[in-house]
This record gives sequence, C-alpha cells and structure tokens, in this order.
Amino acid sequence: MAQDAATVQAARYAGELGGDAPELRRFLADELRAAGIDPARVIVDVAPSRVGWREPIRVSVSSAYPVSIPFLFATTVPLRSSAISRGEVNR
Amino acid sequence: MSWIRDDRGSVMVLTLVVAPLLLVALAGVLQLGALRVAAARVRAAADLATLVAVNDQDDAELARSGALRLSADAIDVAREYFARELELSSPLLDRAADEIAAGADVAAYASAPAYDTLTGSRYDRPTVRIAADVPVRTPVFGALVLRPVTVLHVVAVSSPR
Repeated sequence: MAQDAATVQAARYAGELGGDAPELRRFLADELRAAGIDPARVIVDVAPSRVGWREPIRVSVSSAYPVSIPFLFATTVPLRSSAISRGEVNR
Repeated sequence: MSWIRDDRGSVMVLTLVVAPLLLVALAGVLQLGALRVAAARVRAAADLATLVAVNDQDDAELARSGALRLSADAIDVAREYFARELELSSPLLDRAADEIAAGADVAAYASAPAYDTLTGSRYDRPTVRIAADVPVRTPVFGALVLRPVTVLHVVAVSSPR
C-alpha cells in the first residue's frame, strides 16, 4: 500500500513535469525510502518518457518483497503498482 | 474409569478440530488484507481521476479573468481517467473498468459556492466529485460466507487551489 501511494504521487508529479525527469526519480526515491522501501531494489517505468499537454502518462513501480519463515523457506513476492496521470505542460 | 483420565490421542483430536478453524481464520485474514489493498487502490483511482479533471482548467477564462473555472469536459475527463486507473487493477474487479466508470455518479460544480445533494457538502471552489460502487472479487468470502463479490463505495472530491 505504501508503494501504491508513492506511485500515485509520482504519477501526479510526472504529469506536472511533463514526463520522466531526475526530479521525479528523486521524489519517488524519497517517498519509497520514507515508506521503508529501498529505492535501489525498485524498478521504475515512466511511459511515455515525455508527454504532451493533456496526454496520459503512466508510472509503474515494481519491487520484490522478501518473505521468509526461518528454517522453512525464503522467497520474494513481486509487488507492482501503476498510476496514470495527465500531462500538464503545454509545450 | 481410568480411560476418562487417559489423555493419549487427545492432541490428535484437538489438532483435527482446531487446524481447520485456524486455516479458515488465516484465509479470512488474507482476504481482508487483499480487500483493504483493493479499497486503497480504488480510492486512489477515484482521487487521481478527480484531480486530473480539476487540473484541466478553462484556459480562456483563466486568461481573460484570472479565475479558475473547470473545463467544459471535466466530467468526461474524470470518468475517462477513473476507467483508466481502475483498468490497472482489473484482476481485482468483478466488472469491466469501463462499465464501472460509466455507472459512476460524476458531478462537476463549475461555479462556487455549490451544494452537493449526494453528500450534503458545500463547495467553495469549483469542484469535481466521483461517487461509485466498485464490485471487487472476494473468493474466500464467497467460500466462507457466500459473498464472492464485495461492493466498495467510494467518494472522491477535488477542488483547485
């Protein structure tokens, strides 16, 4: 749920920036870190990377959440979050 | 009457009785967790859809008077983006995202103050509101309490600042 929330905020910011940008990556990393998720273990996809005014932009975040029961098993659960916003930059 | 005090085999009986109950409780808890995640996603979908619709201002009016006024197609934009957002969570939904969005009660209040007859709220800025019933699959509840679909009621409201 924390990853979902960060993704939604990132999608809004991506719309405001008009696409993928270092500021967006920094913002998302800060949000994930605040939620206890290591940004280095997360795959971020922004499509399209540059978006026009009123065009949809999608931010997807994928991570692998480690789950383990000591002495029994250890595995990872794939978590995927996506959100769509709209470009707000009139180029 | 020594067999009354004989507890050999009682652990097996206890396990046979308690293990199914524990499994049912575990399944119920997992389903509740999944439902909570689904509810958060649906709420976020509605929030983002109203935000997108509100961000799209009437540019001519903004240039002319500096006033914020909703774009004429705010309702359509909110509905379209609600469908797009729900589509991302389609495996959780019991109906198509388009159908759910089409059935949603979307209202745009272009001028303020305005009163929402559905929620009873007063809006002091131009506002977009979505109210929708979103059916979510809950197969474990279906097996346990014959309720395979749980309907989430969501209301999202956004105004520009």
